[in-house]
Amino acid sequence: MKKISKASLSKSFWRWWYGNLTCFTHEHMQTFGYMWSMLPIIQELYPTKEEQAEKLRTYYPFFNTEPQIGCIVVGITAGLEEARANGAEGIDDEMINGIRAGLMGPLAGIGDSLIVGTYIPVLLGIALGLSEGGSVLGPIFYIIVWNITSIWFQKFIYDKGYELGGNAVEMIVGEQAMAFRESIIVLGRIIVGAMAGSWVSINTSVILTYGLDPETGDKIPVFLQEKLDGAFPGVLTMVFVLLCWWLMSKKKVSPVKVMLLMVILAFVGVLIGFFDPGLSY
Amino acid sequence: MSISWLQAGLLGFMSVLAASTPAALGTTVGNYTLNRPLVASLFVGLILGDVPGAITIAIPMQIIYIALVTPGGTVAADLRAVSYIGIPLAYVTCVSQGLDLAGAEAQGIAGALGALVGTVGTVMFYGTAMMNLFWQHYGWARLDKGDFNVLTKVEVFLPIVTHIVISFIPVTILVYYGAGAVENFKSALPMEAWYMKALFTLGSLLPAVGIAILLKSVINKTTDLIYFVGGFALAKSLGLSLLAATAIGGMFAFVNFQIAMASYKGASSGADDEEDI
Repeated sequence: MKKISKASLSKSFWRWWYGNLTCFTHEHMQTFGYMWSMLPIIQELYPTKEEQAEKLRTYYPFFNTEPQIGCIVVGITAGLEEARANGAEGIDDEMINGIRAGLMGPLAGIGDSLIVGTYIPVLLGIALGLSEGGSVLGPIFYIIVWNITSIWFQKFIYDKGYELGGNAVEMIVGEQAMAFRESIIVLGRIIVGAMAGSWVSINTSVILTYGLDPETGDKIPVFLQEKLDGAFPGVLTMVFVLLCWWLMSKKKVSPVKVMLLMVILAFVGVLIGFFDPGLSY
Repeated sequence: MSISWLQAGLLGFMSVLAASTPAALGTTVGNYTLNRPLVASLFVGLILGDVPGAITIAIPMQIIYIALVTPGGTVAADLRAVSYIGIPLAYVTCVSQGLDLAGAEAQGIAGALGALVGTVGTVMFYGTAMMNLFWQHYGWARLDKGDFNVLTKVEVFLPIVTHIVISFIPVTILVYYGAGAVENFKSALPMEAWYMKALFTLGSLLPAVGIAILLKSVINKTTDLIYFVGGFALAKSLGLSLLAATAIGGMFAFVNFQIAMASYKGASSGADDEEDI
């Protein structure tokens, strides 16, 4: 009965943790990182050079996912490779690559929306609050909390993937996992709203009309911004965020093009007097 | 004030460690730690000799790019340029003009510069991915000959060559000469000019794109936007902090989980109870 040593598993984990994207290209994305990470395991399980080369070939196909949550896939294939070396039936290149291909899409979705899209911005948001006045507390808080929690999480799911092997698939795409994921995403939506409310501030300088000061008789401007905020604070900001979202998700406009549109809106808006930051030296 | 070659070189070196997706220090430490402008500002501050100042000037830049997600390897902006070109140049500009770093003018300049240099980062990102193609093709050729050790070379050492060409040299040069150029910022680019106003406005519009990218990743159907609008009102109308809003959001998430699990259990009643994950 062959068993992967702790040292090889840990080598495989750290290689993936470090190397998942170091040699990124659009052609093979994370394939080289994957092979580099599987190599210690393959070399330990199979004695001959020919066998090693053959087994490494299993990991030639394209691989790309959110690499941090993707640790679990590498763990799973380590478990599967061990079972295959012990002669388990039904584990062949096709089965392993079926699992890899089947998981990389859903995991990229979870990783992008939960880790990169929600967890990191929330940590950064807290760090921004701590940084006010130029305090180093903010960056230090982020460096420590993000790295400790993230590395712990990656090691945890790698080990879980190895333990469970193919059974881990249910843990990721099963119904309970779906319910949990959907609920976390509910939290994500509310936080994204709160982030927009806290950090984005788009104001117009349009003056609707002039009123008269009853005492002095001076003209005082009536700002559109104040009227809008009276109805729903920050509504103009919200409209802009929703416009960008609508363009990207419903009209399939790329983020770069939406940014270009913002450049145009900024220039046109200033020229017609809609925007005026009112800054001077 | 100006930036010395040593300081510029150190900033170039930091940009290598922190390059976006293919960072020399990997994804977790490189891309998601050192690449973030707020974290970078600590190191930029150490290099320039004013940590609180660099952090203060980095805050509006971090806000613009707070929600940067890179789905499928397509990036809108690589933050290495914002962090290690944008922050030092914004800092030098504001100090040269004698502006209060926490004031609206300095923060506006930081946002505008951050918006501008983001595009430099995008070029760097695609340049890095292109140049790495050489190493991968070399790797495939050696693998066919049974040379497993080539993987370590391709993964660890050869990308450093890419980083020197695409990151280290350009960042060092841009920071060194850029710092000289922004000395004359005031006369060349007056804040009252319409194009400068547009640039400042752009700095306030771009965060909306970042938030929208994020929003796209958590919204499946249009009615999900109700949560977003609610969260917006929590922060803007009720003035809740992000953590307080997280507490309220957590409540909704918990209720949602209970309901989802109840309907799940209902649907699978009769079958054996499954273990919790």
